[in-house]
Amino acid sequence: MNERTATTYLRVLVYGVAGAILVFLLINKEYRTQFLSGSGIAQGALIGAIALGVVLTYRGSGVVNFANGAIAMYVAYQYAVLRATGKFFLPPLPNPLKPIEGIFGVKMPNIPVALTIRNAGLAFWPALLISLGFCVLLGLGLHFVIFRPLRHAPPLAKVVASVGLFVFLQAAVIRRFNTTPQATPPLPTFKNTTQVHIPFNKWTLFTISADQLFVAVIVIVFAVALWLVFQYTRFGLATRAAAENEKGAVVLGFSPDFLAGTNWVLSTVITGLLGILVASTQTFVDPVGLVVLIVPALTAALLGSFSSFGRTTAAAFVLGMQVQVVQYISTKSWFPKSSATAWPGFEFLVPVVAIVLVLFLAGASLPTRGAITSGRLPFSPTPPKWSVRYGGPLLAIVIALAGLFFFSPLYRGALTETLIGAMICLSVVVITGFVGQISLAQLSFAGIAAYTVSKLSYEHGWPFPWPILVGAGAATLLGLVVALPALRVRGVNLAIITLAFAVAVDKVVFGNTSVTGGYVGPLVKTPSWIDPNNAGRYHFLGLTAGDGLQPNPMTGLFCLVVLVILCYLVANMRRSTTGRQMLAMRSNERAAAATGVNVSGTKILAFGVSAFIAGIAGGVIAYRTPGGVGADQFNYTASLVFFAFAYLGGISSVSGALAGGMLVPGGLLFIFLQDKLGVPSEMTLVLGGAGLVLSAILNPEGIAGGLARDGKRLLMRIRARARPPAPDEPVAVPVTTQGTA
Amino acid sequence: MELLRTNDMCVTFGGLRAVDNVSFHVEEGKIVGLIGPNGAGKTTFIDGITGFVPTTGSIKFLGKEISGMPAHKRARIGLGRTWQSLELFEDLNIEENLQVAAEDQSVLGFLADLVMPQRKRSKQDVDFALDALGLRGLAHRLPTEISQGQRKLVSTARALAARPQLLCMDEPAAGLDTNESQELGSRMRGIVDEGITIFLVDHDMGLVLNVCDYIYVIEFGATIAQGTPDEVKRDPRVIEAYLGSSAEAPE
Repeated sequence: MNERTATTYLRVLVYGVAGAILVFLLINKEYRTQFLSGSGIAQGALIGAIALGVVLTYRGSGVVNFANGAIAMYVAYQYAVLRATGKFFLPPLPNPLKPIEGIFGVKMPNIPVALTIRNAGLAFWPALLISLGFCVLLGLGLHFVIFRPLRHAPPLAKVVASVGLFVFLQAAVIRRFNTTPQATPPLPTFKNTTQVHIPFNKWTLFTISADQLFVAVIVIVFAVALWLVFQYTRFGLATRAAAENEKGAVVLGFSPDFLAGTNWVLSTVITGLLGILVASTQTFVDPVGLVVLIVPALTAALLGSFSSFGRTTAAAFVLGMQVQVVQYISTKSWFPKSSATAWPGFEFLVPVVAIVLVLFLAGASLPTRGAITSGRLPFSPTPPKWSVRYGGPLLAIVIALAGLFFFSPLYRGALTETLIGAMICLSVVVITGFVGQISLAQLSFAGIAAYTVSKLSYEHGWPFPWPILVGAGAATLLGLVVALPALRVRGVNLAIITLAFAVAVDKVVFGNTSVTGGYVGPLVKTPSWIDPNNAGRYHFLGLTAGDGLQPNPMTGLFCLVVLVILCYLVANMRRSTTGRQMLAMRSNERAAAATGVNVSGTKILAFGVSAFIAGIAGGVIAYRTPGGVGADQFNYTASLVFFAFAYLGGISSVSGALAGGMLVPGGLLFIFLQDKLGVPSEMTLVLGGAGLVLSAILNPEGIAGGLARDGKRLLMRIRARARPPAPDEPVAVPVTTQGTA
Repeated sequence: MELLRTNDMCVTFGGLRAVDNVSFHVEEGKIVGLIGPNGAGKTTFIDGITGFVPTTGSIKFLGKEISGMPAHKRARIGLGRTWQSLELFEDLNIEENLQVAAEDQSVLGFLADLVMPQRKRSKQDVDFALDALGLRGLAHRLPTEISQGQRKLVSTARALAARPQLLCMDEPAAGLDTNESQELGSRMRGIVDEGITIFLVDHDMGLVLNVCDYIYVIEFGATIAQGTPDEVKRDPRVIEAYLGSSAEAPE
């Protein structure tokens, strides 16, 4: 039996089992009432709404929009606030006048928070129309400002931009309203929740409230309408042609640009409209629960091969409806327990399993687009000798002196955050910068390590450094598991898998109180010299470190030592055979194989190294937070946020990771902005998300890469002025994507 | 000595037999050519030998069966190749491009490199390849900064840096003018003098007939003729395949 027939059998097996489960759920009365419950169907409709938008955007412009859940949430919020207060809220943007206020102490005008349309809540139709008008503007904005400039960029840049959009939209809502849910009034004709009994042959098949039935039908109607448009109109034909070959669309008389823009607007309007309708049946909308539905929505889109509206919608409904079934099963006595309650989060495992089966076994994947050109990943320079021998040590000594002797408590805290952030960014640099694989699960690795450290040090009494190494080992193992799908899939597909994985780990492992120690978080026995709560002073060589205030200056020193070691290991790896093999593989996998590079082995190695670094960071976080780390520190949003800052700093070099560390929430840059310029700290993520989008478009090499490039040009200009070039010397200065950091 | 031998090698794509029962062999120290019209399956044949498409039948390299062996392992035991589309590593400079081919990595080596990267390990092989193609002066340039002709030389140099026993060259003369093509021919003779056998796939009949010791001709995936350049030049089936019925001596 060769590999192809094996895959065929496997595919039949997988579909057979899936079909058998579905049939069982429909036949068995006990499970059917759960599977066909109104709330499950409404959830499916919501996932379907987001998934339809994802598919539409992909077919129109080739962008996998990770932010579509956030768009649905943002628009639903917009609508809910209009209904409640009659105000149209504006995204919080930094006030450029604020620094003047901070420096000169003069009161300057604030940017308005909202446009008041009426001083009382709006009725359904005006609120809906205003929200949809906003959707049109949003769609146009997304196309013209973000994704049109990126149309020839590598997939990484597009993923980065949509992740940035995700972070920005969520942060904007959280900044305005905290995480408080916003009430959504019921739809006008469905004020009384009448129950509808769906008959089947004399008996009731299932019971659903009228509004839930309405939104489910609406979603299906939209799916059918989209199918008809794509099947039978010239516009749909041209979009399909453009997806195959952009020149094809031009021949049909449509510009690919127009098609992409129109599809963006269609996508945001449909996502927004359906999001508003479904949220109205769920009585409230919150900025966390709706956004995470992007994972089942992407799963549904994948099951529909990112092209079939019908299959996507069907898959979305099943993924929504399974939630009720899984939650029902978890009430059974045989279900795995943790702290005497059912182990939570299993409904988030279903999308992961579905994605892995579909991508890994059945070998399906996103149809690739026949774009005319596609760009390259940011340049990854070899660390020059001077930076390894002198620059690095000098920087480390300066930071150590500053942290020990000069920084106030506020900046000492920020310094630890920056150093730890740089470690996480370094782990992203290895996997994404050197190997070109997008991992959106780095904080899951860190979290596993942190919880391992807590167990070993607190419950088993292991002495100080060893739990970190074991924890990092555990993270490495997890990294190797994630590496397996990476052997078959790459690019955006891998980003989807790792995101689903991060969400599953988040809900199943970190949501499990017996793993995480409940609300307190994991406790750690930290040696007192690292303990940040130890307000000690340290004397050596006649100098005194620390001012007798928390946090302990030695905490920062500890983080610094770990970071320096990690930076050296990564820089050495980049300078060695392994680094060159990774870069070779990033450039061209088959040419790398032809020159003797073991592509699978190198990928697995890269995932292992990256997860190891993230694990070390997790261990350091655990020791730095002896009183218990907040569970949300390791959730999937945190992974996205750190991915964002790593990219902003510079995804392809060690110095980029350091720059990324400066930017992380609570790190030196934002503490400085807050302390000196009065920019509120909650703006970090809003600015970070926006910065990420801008960076993807304008400066894909990140801050470090950009600085290095500008520095090099300046140096060349100075040199050129100092002496005239020799006649045979090449004068051309590389201006495209070269730089040295 | 016989370096490479295939027996009844086939490559199928769906219902299409791109390479159909080809049996051939390459003697050490020779330049063996493979010619055939567009779409005859020449590149697929190289892909099959070097492990980039699944094959049936047998492929023996240095007397050892290698069919089913992953591509990177075939490269490491001395089966090098170049690509028609060059496929340089655009993010690495020329020297580093060659280093990737010249250096193997083990787990222990990886760990040692983390502590102390050994930069000069492959210097000899890299220098040999740079000199063989006259690329010394470009060692620290990036592939994006050099001309197309130079890029072609780099792609050959990269394959040479691995010190292969057999170098499979896929259309190295495509896009070169007559002078450049002749220079390439003399460089290939130099490579053979270094003890590396060459398997050359090309369109350029002039180059193939000039430099090859033995030539195979394929059409629609199957061998239609083989022999020394003189024998092949006179073979009526070759003339038919290449020039249609109006037989004229190929350029």
